[in-house]
Amino acid sequence: MTEESDAKTRILVIDDGITMRLYYRSVLEAAGFEVEEAANGVEGHEKALSQHFDMMIVDINMPKMDGYSLLRAIRKNPAIHGVPAVTISTEARPDDAIKAFEAGANFYLTKPVAPEDLTEVARLMTGGSPR
Amino acid sequence: MALVKGKLPECDGAPRDLSTLLGALASPESAVRRNAVRDLKLYPDSAEALCAQLQDETSPSVRAALFSTLIHLQSPHVAVRLAEFLRSDDVQLRNGAIEALQEMPDAIAPHLQVLLGDADSDVRIFAVNILASLRHDQVPEWLAEVIRTDAHVNVCAAAIDGLAEVGGPEVVKDLEALRLRFAGDAFMDFAITTAIRRIGSE
Repeated sequence: MTEESDAKTRILVIDDGITMRLYYRSVLEAAGFEVEEAANGVEGHEKALSQHFDMMIVDINMPKMDGYSLLRAIRKNPAIHGVPAVTISTEARPDDAIKAFEAGANFYLTKPVAPEDLTEVARLMTGGSPR
Repeated sequence: MALVKGKLPECDGAPRDLSTLLGALASPESAVRRNAVRDLKLYPDSAEALCAQLQDETSPSVRAALFSTLIHLQSPHVAVRLAEFLRSDDVQLRNGAIEALQEMPDAIAPHLQVLLGDADSDVRIFAVNILASLRHDQVPEWLAEVIRTDAHVNVCAAAIDGLAEVGGPEVVKDLEALRLRFAGDAFMDFAITTAIRRIGSE
């Protein structure tokens, strides 16, 4: 097995809720992904800049830096602007998904997310099964 | 010139009175507005004008100053006015209001029951987030009341997160009852199991 094939598909989970982060980690690791966590937008932005990720899961309502601001910052940075991002929010107002897409999201889900939906979207966004 | 607590703010050596400072809130220059907001900390009567300014203010630094001054001037009236922003479509304004309200527990506490009964589930989630941050002996019981009575899954999920932080063994039976109420929901099952484990380990 080569070094390249050993590298797992990496997902950055950015959510201020610890239970939510643990849930995403549990589901995604069970599906074969490698998960890194950030507890707010600022921490998420720093990790996105300093490490390689194949996808990001971004909460909208977070302290310090909200999900929309984080997505806009990421999309402006040529080094990381192409990383797929899925927003997951408790909000279900009609224009919330539009705002998320305008900020740079590639996919929008509302909480709570079923494990199979999360796994399917992660596979879709990262181009197939985890490495 | 540095301000000395209790003295009137000064500009070019002359004290700035309330009406001068309130007038400066309409300045097109954000630095002027920001300085006026900071100086208004000495004027509790300015709270309403500061809350009104929040609605229209677009400069992040002036907004930050507005929240800082309103935290300084905190009162039940300020808390109620800030709570109105929980239903704003402006996520930065909304999050700023949540963080400010978490800094004024005595002022927001009497109004929390109203927010927890709001028709908008997002407002109830924000109220739970504020409630969970308060330092009060009754917080675990109030959060337990939320999971006993609120029908919305995400409101209950927010309360579970709070109970995992501050709850004791007395709330486990409520968490188990909630598991039955949301039977078949994988996230709720995970969240309840995680909360009970965290409560048991602390």
